[in-house]
Parts: sequence; C-alpha cells; structure tokens
Amino acid sequence: MEDIAHQIVERAVKLGAQDAVADVVTNRSYQIRFARNEPVISNAWRESTAWVFLVVNRRVLLSDIKDLSKVGPAVERLVKIAKTSQENPEYGGIARGPFRYARTRPDPKVIALDDGADHVEAAIHGALEEGAKECAGSFWKYDERHHLVSSNGVNAEDHRASLYLSIRAMLALESSGHGIACGTKLSQFKPEAAGRKAGRVAALSKDPKPGKPGRYTVVLDPLIFGSVTDNAVGRLSAWVVAAGLSPFGKKIGKRIASPALTLMEDGSADSIGRRKFDAEGVPTRRNVVVRRGILKTYLHNTSTAKRFKAKTTGNAGLVSPEPHAVFVEPGDWTKDEIFSEVKDGLWLTNTWYTRYQSYVTGDFSTIPRDGIFHIRKGEVVEAWKDIRVTDNLIRLLQNVVALSDKTEQMMWWGEVSIPNFVPYALAKDVGITRSAE
Amino acid sequence: MPDLDLTEFAVDAAMKKGAAYAEARYEHQNAEQFIVKNGVLDALYVGEDQGIGIRVLVKGSLGFAATNLLTKSDVKAAVGDAISIARASRRKTPIRFAQEDAIVADWSVPEKKPLADVPVDEKIAELQGVDKELLGLGYKIAARYFQLSNNRIEKDFANSEGSRIRSYSPRLRVFYFLTLVNDGDVEQTHRNYGWSGGWEGIREWDLTNRVLEEARSMQTSLVQGKKSPEGKMDLVVGPQVAGIASHESCGHPTEADRVLGREASQAGKSFITPESIGTRVGSDLVNVVDDPTLEHAIAYYMYDDEGVRARRRYLYKEGKVHEFLHNRETASALRTRSNAASRAVNYNVEAIVRMANTFVEPKDHSLEELLEDVRFGVYMKSFMEWNIDDKRYNAKYAGRESYLVEDGEIKHPVRNTVIELTTPTFWSAVDAVGKDLEFEAGFCGKSDPGQALDASMGGPSMRLRNVYLR
Repeated sequence: MEDIAHQIVERAVKLGAQDAVADVVTNRSYQIRFARNEPVISNAWRESTAWVFLVVNRRVLLSDIKDLSKVGPAVERLVKIAKTSQENPEYGGIARGPFRYARTRPDPKVIALDDGADHVEAAIHGALEEGAKECAGSFWKYDERHHLVSSNGVNAEDHRASLYLSIRAMLALESSGHGIACGTKLSQFKPEAAGRKAGRVAALSKDPKPGKPGRYTVVLDPLIFGSVTDNAVGRLSAWVVAAGLSPFGKKIGKRIASPALTLMEDGSADSIGRRKFDAEGVPTRRNVVVRRGILKTYLHNTSTAKRFKAKTTGNAGLVSPEPHAVFVEPGDWTKDEIFSEVKDGLWLTNTWYTRYQSYVTGDFSTIPRDGIFHIRKGEVVEAWKDIRVTDNLIRLLQNVVALSDKTEQMMWWGEVSIPNFVPYALAKDVGITRSAE
Repeated sequence: MPDLDLTEFAVDAAMKKGAAYAEARYEHQNAEQFIVKNGVLDALYVGEDQGIGIRVLVKGSLGFAATNLLTKSDVKAAVGDAISIARASRRKTPIRFAQEDAIVADWSVPEKKPLADVPVDEKIAELQGVDKELLGLGYKIAARYFQLSNNRIEKDFANSEGSRIRSYSPRLRVFYFLTLVNDGDVEQTHRNYGWSGGWEGIREWDLTNRVLEEARSMQTSLVQGKKSPEGKMDLVVGPQVAGIASHESCGHPTEADRVLGREASQAGKSFITPESIGTRVGSDLVNVVDDPTLEHAIAYYMYDDEGVRARRRYLYKEGKVHEFLHNRETASALRTRSNAASRAVNYNVEAIVRMANTFVEPKDHSLEELLEDVRFGVYMKSFMEWNIDDKRYNAKYAGRESYLVEDGEIKHPVRNTVIELTTPTFWSAVDAVGKDLEFEAGFCGKSDPGQALDASMGGPSMRLRNVYLR
C-alpha cells in the first residue's frame, strides 16, 4: 500500500500538481448487529481505497480511487479534470513534512479477535439481568491501516484498531436505557457493564408520565453531555465557522461557556478515534479549544490556518478541519454530589435529532430519549417521557455549573459522532418543552 | 468495468459453501460533487466507486460481506467471510424471506442531456450564475453555500432464486444554505432539490428564481417580521412542511423493520405496532403515499435491492394506518409480501427497509381557498428547524417563511412559528388539502453503518384547524 500511495503522489506531481496527498486505507472491519436479544446480521469488509487530494495551480480536486490496479490512468484523469477546474483563491497549501509520529501500535488481542458473539451476549445478559426485556445494538471491531504520502515530504503509516459496542435496552417502548462500551485494548472493553447501565436505566424508567414544560436544573448523563460537547467542538472547525454554520464566529477570546468547562480536542490520546496524523500528515496533538469557558482557538488545517492567521491544529480534513476526539476536563464533584445538588430538576440520559433554527445564534432543540427522570432532593421520583430540550447552545454551555470527577468515553450513532470523554454535568435553567394536545 | 459475471459467480460460490439463499449486488458509481462557498469553488470531488456486496442466509442467520477488490479470488474470499460470519451467528429464531418470483430485467432512467456529457465547469458555472444573481439583490448575505452533486449508478443484482437485474440510474441534486443578516438579526435557510435523469433537471427546478424568491422572503422576514402569535388557531402549511411531516411522522413509523425493533438502537422504534393496521391517526382527508415509481423523483427505481418490483404504497389511507414498508425479511415476519422497500446506499452495506418518495396525496383546494376560511392563524410556508422523537410521535417544525393570516388574508411575516404536536394531533387537525403538490429532496438517515440515502418528500398545502402554535 505504501508503494501505491507513492505512485499516486509521484504521478500527480509529474503531471503538474503542486500539492498532492494520497491516503491508502485498508479496511478489514467486522460488525454484529443485534435486535430482540439476538443477532440480526453480521457484516465484514475487505476494502482498499486511495483517498486522493491534488492541487494544480490552486485548483483543488478530491477523489477516491477504488481500483488500485490502475492508479496511473486514474491519476492522469484526475489531473486533467483539475486543470479544467477553477482556482480557489482561499487555498493555502498543505503542511510541509517530514514529521515524527508517536509509536503507538494496536492491541494484538483486538486485531486477533474474529468473533464478537461473546461480547454481544455479555452485553445482552447484563441488560436482561438488570430488568430489561429487549435489547438491540451493534458490536464493532474497527480495523483500518492507513499509509499516507504527500508531495511535501510526508510518509506516514498508522494501524488503527478498536472495539465498540452500543446497546439499547428496553422494558417497553417508552422505558429504555442506552449503554456504550469502547476501547483500543481488549482489557478496556466492558460490554457487560454497558448492558447493565442500559438495563438499569430501562428498569428505572418504567411507566413514564408525560413531562412538564419549564426551565429546569438538569443532570446530563455522559451520553447526552457528549452530544452537547460533540456539537460544540464540531462547530469550532474554521471551515464550518466560515460557512455560517457555527455560533462561534468572531468569538475567539470571548466567553462561550461556563468557567467550569475546559474542552480539549486530541487525536493523539488514547481513544477509539486515536490517529497519529491528520489528513495532511500533521501529527495529532492536544488542543485546548475552550479554557475555563473562554474560546481559545478554532480547529485548522494548513489552508484555514493561513486564512485565519493561525497555525494548523492537526485537524485536516483536506477541505474542512475536523475534530478527532473531545476531552472534557473533569470537575471536582462526585456523581452523587451532582445529583444531591438538584432540589427539583431532571436527569436526562440520552438524546437524538439535534437540529438548529439558526446555526449562527445557536438556537436548537433536541429530543431526550431513553430514561428521563424527575429528581427531587437528589432522588428520582418519577420517570418522564415526551419532552424536548429547546435552548441555545452557548446559553447551555454557559449554564453548566458542575462536572463530575470522572469521564467516560462516549460515541453513538448520529449524536456523538466521534469519541467524547465526558463526565456527568449539572446545568441550570435548561429549557424544556413538549407537544401540545 | 470488471467481469459482470462476478455477481453470478459470487452467488454460485455462496450456494456451494452451504448458503440456503445468496444474493450479490455489484455497484459502479461515478460521482461529481462540489461546493461554491461565498462565490468561490471550494473543492471539486470526482470519484469512481465500485465493488460487490454479498448477502447470504445460512441456517437462518444473515451474513453480509463487501469488497472492492474485484478479482474472482477476492470475491471468493468475501463470500467466505459472509458464510463464516453467518455460520458463527448464535441466532435462535431463523430468518426467513417472503416468497418472490425470479426477475430478469434491465432498466434505466433516461437522460435527455446525459450528466456525463456536461463538462464540470459548466455545472460549476451554473451555480456561480445563481450565486451572482443572488448577490445582485443587494442584501447583506453573511454566508452563501451551494452544493451540487451528480451520481451515475450502475447496478447488477443476482440471487440464488434466478433473479438477474441490471440498472442505470443517474441522479442530480442541489443543496443550498443561506444566511441573511439585518440590524444584528439573522435568518437562515436550507433547500434541497433532487432529480433522477440528466442535466435537464437543472432547468426543471428553475433554480435561480427559486433561490431569489427564498432570499427575498428572508429579507422581508428580517425587516418586517413580527413575533408569531401563541395559542390555538388555524394553520396552513406549505408543501415543504407537508413533505417533512409525511416523511417523519408517517413514512418512518410505518417502516416494518422499525416496527419490529431491528432499528431500536439507532433510528428507533415506532408508536405503530404490527396490530396498528386500520388504526386512525388522522382525518379522513389524509392519504400519505410512498412511491418509488414517480418518474424523475430522486428516489425512483423499478426494482428494489432485493429484486422486487416497485409499486406505490399507501401508508396512511383516509386517515388510517394502511400499509407498512417491507423488505422480504419483515414481510415474512408479518406474513405478507414485500412491497419493494429494500435499498442500500452502496455495494458495501446491506439493503434495509427505506422510504423512497413520500408525500401527501393532493386534493382539490387552491391555496387561496385554504386561506380564505381562516379567521386568525398562521400560514407556515416552509421550515428551518425540525425534529421528532424516535418513536415518531412528538414532532416539531419551526417556521422559516411564515405569515399571519386574518380574515382570509395574509397580513405580515411572523418569525420562528413553532408547531410542536403529536403525530395524531397533527394529522387529525387536517380539514382541507390543496392541489399544489411539490417535492424536495432529502437524505434519510438510518442503519449502522449509517446509510444517508436519497429520498424525496412532498405534498400540497394543507389546512389544520385549531392547533396550538407558539
């Protein structure tokens, strides 16, 4: 695969490209989907793709070559198309290598795992033991090899492998809980614990009552707080800001969150999103994006960094910079102290379908799913259903008043798009609405 | 182009290895996509994707494997993967498929002006022309984002029951997103148009005029818009709102895989159960249809990805749950026949139950007739924010272009009108349905790995009586 990456870049440069990057990816991932407490399908992939980026006289072209036996003619065609395209005056180049990379290797036990059935059964067993009746979810073994070469001296390789399990446990249609297990090492991977968490929340949410609208103090479970932080950091991509899709435009140096909140983006730390380098080959690193509530930086590739008079943060995306993993600095409250602080409020465990009325103002709503609980004096007094969080992203971030002292790695279908390491959070004055009769 | 007999080769190999049923789907997709952001071509994507996916049923368990390595030995290895992971499954309840006839067919969508014949610079110039006209309005537009994609999809499907279906489907799509500002106030919009066919689709949309009309309404809303009234009142919704409601609170809850719990951990379940056929969810006037056979709709197809002949499906008929969307697996589980709703976004993912082109069936009212009978209410022509819970019962649509209506007349724009109603409350309030059927395209998300699939949604204007707005 190294040869193919070199061939693509060398050919592109020879044909007139000033900048070229080829990332040849071999995917051997494997998945079991399950529902109604048993597998519904198992999936396996044998794919090799060359992701190609090339620039001819500021004309930027992206492609993926699937037939790796014919990369020469494919590159010729791409360069020809690029030459007929238009200049992008905002294009600012790619990073100049070579770079030194961390020497991380995947866990051989993860690589060797060829059957996830025991993990699926452990998760389901855990949920059923806690009182759930029906479980659904996915087990994943992610296994990808990257070989990235650029015309600016990058020659890098990375073998990324991890395990992931998502389980939703249901007692009934409106009584459910969700659990996540993930890790880069087999020893970190705890599917039964994820099942037990999902099952406990499902059992606790038995016979939910229609919720009441208002403004509440809310305990955000890591899964839903992960959705909040995923939304926030995703909208710190400089490209997203420039496209009018972010409430964080012109807010560098300003308060966008509570002093309790420090957010870091880090592709280099251990997570199931860990990678040695970004799409330009720049080594990933820890970026403090929000320090004690103050916005410190957007996420950049070389091109956006030039436009914003900043430095790349190692977050290319060749068009749009993107976060790799989010880390919330834990607070100094125990989880029990956070719950005890709530005199009359809610505990939300998960959400989905977050949508914005205005990306610029940050006005949004999202629909809690799975366990929704009314809390009085720190204790769950009732399960609720059918409510919606209707608020503003910056306002919500500013209303976070406490964080628990431990974080958990969360990633989930649609809502938490990359790993987010998040604690329990306590937010005051959160807007809750519900459907009218 | 590889040896197209790979599909039959894969099916034969799977059957020899012990599959009770096998199918192979080869796909070859040529795609172009680009973004014009604030007038500048951001990047051009040109891709040629191909590969084969093999799905097998072994002792009642499903295995699926995909590869883009298209030699016979690689395909044979993928077949081996599918067989071995199906065999390793610990499923206790055997999966069965509803009976279907073997089909041998070759179908394609005609292109008056083939997408492949139009140079990409002409396509870029088209969007930049729209952008230039937009700038000519003289409004303060903080961000202008246009995206065009076209995709030419060739498929070759074979299964162990003797089906062999080849198809060619060209698709064109434009998405745009605008941000207008005025005196520190902001209004945003997104619209999405899709077409099955050639480049002639761009003229069918009348894109420039639509974009200009949208921008003018945004400016009017910013300058003249007032607070939307709160309370119970009449509501007239435009085709875009009728379309999203048909998709979210009718199409999704009638997907049989969702009803049966297969999507529970991802896109969710449904307030509708297998016993809900015939249950009332709306007024007698409500007919919601899903139809893959609408010519030039972006989700047009003649046979689905299990080789079943497509047809129109009435999901809600005269206000009652009428029919679910089925693939062969869900049809067998509910003792019926597939109605050809099985689709995959590409070769490398399994086909699952999906909507195609979902819409409220039009009736005979003009918009003027719908409005003239409203003493006090809101006309919500389009929306910006929307969402719905995962059982598809509690939906929210927040207005983009909306107006106060008094004594049958449109008075002035109102800002951010919110409909937050249950599915039966929304559909039961419909007391008149218009004839101005329109569609927009969307990406419908489902499954794991996620499949954002071409869909369209539409409807005519509709009047709802005495619903709570804020």
